[in-house]
Amino acid sequence: MRLLGFKYLKRQRILTLALIITLSSMLFSITALSLLGFYRGFTAYLGEGEDIVVVYDRRSRTPFTGLVPVYLSERISALNGVLASSPEAIAPCLLKGEAIFIRGIIPEGFTKLNRITITDGSMLELDDVNSIIVGKNVAERLHLKPGDKVLVLGALTDQYLELQIKGIYTSHSPMDDEALAPLYVGQWLRGTDYGHVTLIRFKIDRSAISPARIFEEIAKEASELSPAPSTKPELQPPSIIPRITSRFRIEDVGIDEAQRFMKSYMDRYGVTREAILILSVIVFLFSSISIATATKTLITQHRGEIQVLRSVGASQKTVKTDLLAKLLFWSLAASAAGITLATAILWLVEGKGYFQILSHTISFQLDLVVIALNFILVSLLVSVSILRAKMEL
Amino acid sequence: MSALSFKMLFRKGGTASSILAIALLVTILASMNSITNHINSQAEMLGRFVNVGETYLILNRNSTATTDSQIDAELTSLLNNLTIIKYVLPQRVLTATLTTSSQNHTITLRGIEDVTSFFKLRKAYINGTAAKNETEANIGEILATALSINVGDEVTLTVGNNLLKVKVVGMVRIQTQSDAELIVPIEAANRLAGNNGKISFIEFALKENVNGEDAISHIAQLLPKDAKIVRTQQLKEFMQEMNAQTLNFLNIWSLAVYAIVVVASYVIAARLTAESSYELAMLKALGAKKGLIFILVLAYTATTALTGATLGVALGIAGTQTASTMLRWVRPSVEITPFLKVEQALQTLLLTLFSSILGCIYPALKTARTRYMEQPL
Repeated sequence: MRLLGFKYLKRQRILTLALIITLSSMLFSITALSLLGFYRGFTAYLGEGEDIVVVYDRRSRTPFTGLVPVYLSERISALNGVLASSPEAIAPCLLKGEAIFIRGIIPEGFTKLNRITITDGSMLELDDVNSIIVGKNVAERLHLKPGDKVLVLGALTDQYLELQIKGIYTSHSPMDDEALAPLYVGQWLRGTDYGHVTLIRFKIDRSAISPARIFEEIAKEASELSPAPSTKPELQPPSIIPRITSRFRIEDVGIDEAQRFMKSYMDRYGVTREAILILSVIVFLFSSISIATATKTLITQHRGEIQVLRSVGASQKTVKTDLLAKLLFWSLAASAAGITLATAILWLVEGKGYFQILSHTISFQLDLVVIALNFILVSLLVSVSILRAKMEL
Repeated sequence: MSALSFKMLFRKGGTASSILAIALLVTILASMNSITNHINSQAEMLGRFVNVGETYLILNRNSTATTDSQIDAELTSLLNNLTIIKYVLPQRVLTATLTTSSQNHTITLRGIEDVTSFFKLRKAYINGTAAKNETEANIGEILATALSINVGDEVTLTVGNNLLKVKVVGMVRIQTQSDAELIVPIEAANRLAGNNGKISFIEFALKENVNGEDAISHIAQLLPKDAKIVRTQQLKEFMQEMNAQTLNFLNIWSLAVYAIVVVASYVIAARLTAESSYELAMLKALGAKKGLIFILVLAYTATTALTGATLGVALGIAGTQTASTMLRWVRPSVEITPFLKVEQALQTLLLTLFSSILGCIYPALKTARTRYMEQPL
């Protein structure tokens, strides 16, 4: 007995089920896509690819608060296979009352690792004392333009600085939510001396040098350094930053690929890509009981129609197969609507800059695994709910 | 009759699964809130490792930076008379043109009343001596290197049409912005910009044993309306904003969950009316008014939601605590201690109740309006 042509399900009742599936899919997609967006953005914060390595402070609890000797930058740059180096002092601070990160850099080295485009004003130079360039998101949020003077207040240190906006840049990365300043400005705000920075990034040629080889060099430096740390300024032109060679313990310094370095911080708090996906699936499953209830309600609401079908000879299997054929299409369509709705909401929220974690906008990307999981879970759930339903006479 | 009817509806088989449906939705909210609280408390704990300074600035209320700020210089003596003040540093910051033998440069000039005390406070390293009169200046190490100026050099400073020749008597390293500035006695800055009884700002600090909040609110009362006090280290504000960002994310995300609660409550009410059609028709036949039927469906859904929400909050807290304990067994380095504040739990309960009532109004009204002859049995 074929029932496909027989329209006994009321559209309004199906729409209730579709609505709840749409909302559950939307919740799942928002959870998964936004958290994965944060994870992706955070792990790519210092650069992607195996050729970017980071020298960092093993003792620091966050990637923003470590301190390593800056002179290692020059020593390691001299090694064959090291293409560029960028010592960076990252400082949390308040600009126009808003929390942002200012990254002290040496522009020449930094631009070899990160491509930034100046959209307004001009590029920063190391000797641009009291100047700063801001990312496009920061400029939009705080209504900043080149030439504006701003008061920057420290978060980690008791410091106040007046800086002038020299330019606005875009990088299509989390850096668009930061500001870049000469290295020494970052060091003032970080509260460190001129001999230390938060981390040093290197661009290397993997065929010529490995992170292990760089670590060997760092270990050599740690053992060779004269016992008494130098405190007097040793001005060596052409750099305008006073050079200080400080002593360090090799156990405190680590080296890793940039992405793995950031992942290791997330790992410390149990945040992995898999954990995010599992969390999102749990969120979906927890909301899915509403889908099961809605499916059961739909069947209950059509109890009369189903009993008529059963009494004219349709078997339970026939009715269930027919319901599956009719409802699965609606469910998948509702699921697709949920994903579309979530994408639209995230796109809107991202555009307005509402979704921020650690002062960085969460930028999301559609993830095929998330979409596939969504369809699979919805199909399974609706199928199980229908197959388990009792349709006796 | 209403109590009996209410009891009758609750005895339906679907009640348990309805409560569970709401409970699991609330579990998501409660657990997310608990984890977020943990993250925020971790951020606050990290903040406690930092020593927070007690330095404040008095600036013009309308200023965005120090160079565009102008306040009355007389305010300095007002602060000096207070016993709670550790030090007072009135300063005048200007943008000036510095002319060396070869070039002109735009620099920041900081005029300070007592340069020696300023250097002492900042624990400055000085190569030379501190400037003592308006013909002497100290240069920050970074600015000196950038402009190739040495101790003993003479430079000309220009602000508008005013010129002043000063001798660099010392090079300083303070590890603050002053390393990129020219520091002169305030008289020199006044000569360049004109002595109009105004200064840019006053930097001051409180004594160690003074209650910061009380002292600042007291000082604020003494200040004119056009002056404001700004704390220079904004760690608390930074942390608050970080936490607010996470909470903002959570709030937007929670809206999606509450939307599901609304639809789930609609389904619960629809299911109740479908499964209890016989009972509802019987009640109407016995004379139950529309209002009673409406209240019955509403009360059923609201009670289900409230029970589910309470269960969900409990499940959320217990679930995250259990998961974090298990995670600690698997990975001892990961320490997560989720918790939920009482006001958050209450907020969740109330919002769930509100969403639930919102969701069930339509089916409740529809059922109340259906006459018992039309009721499907």
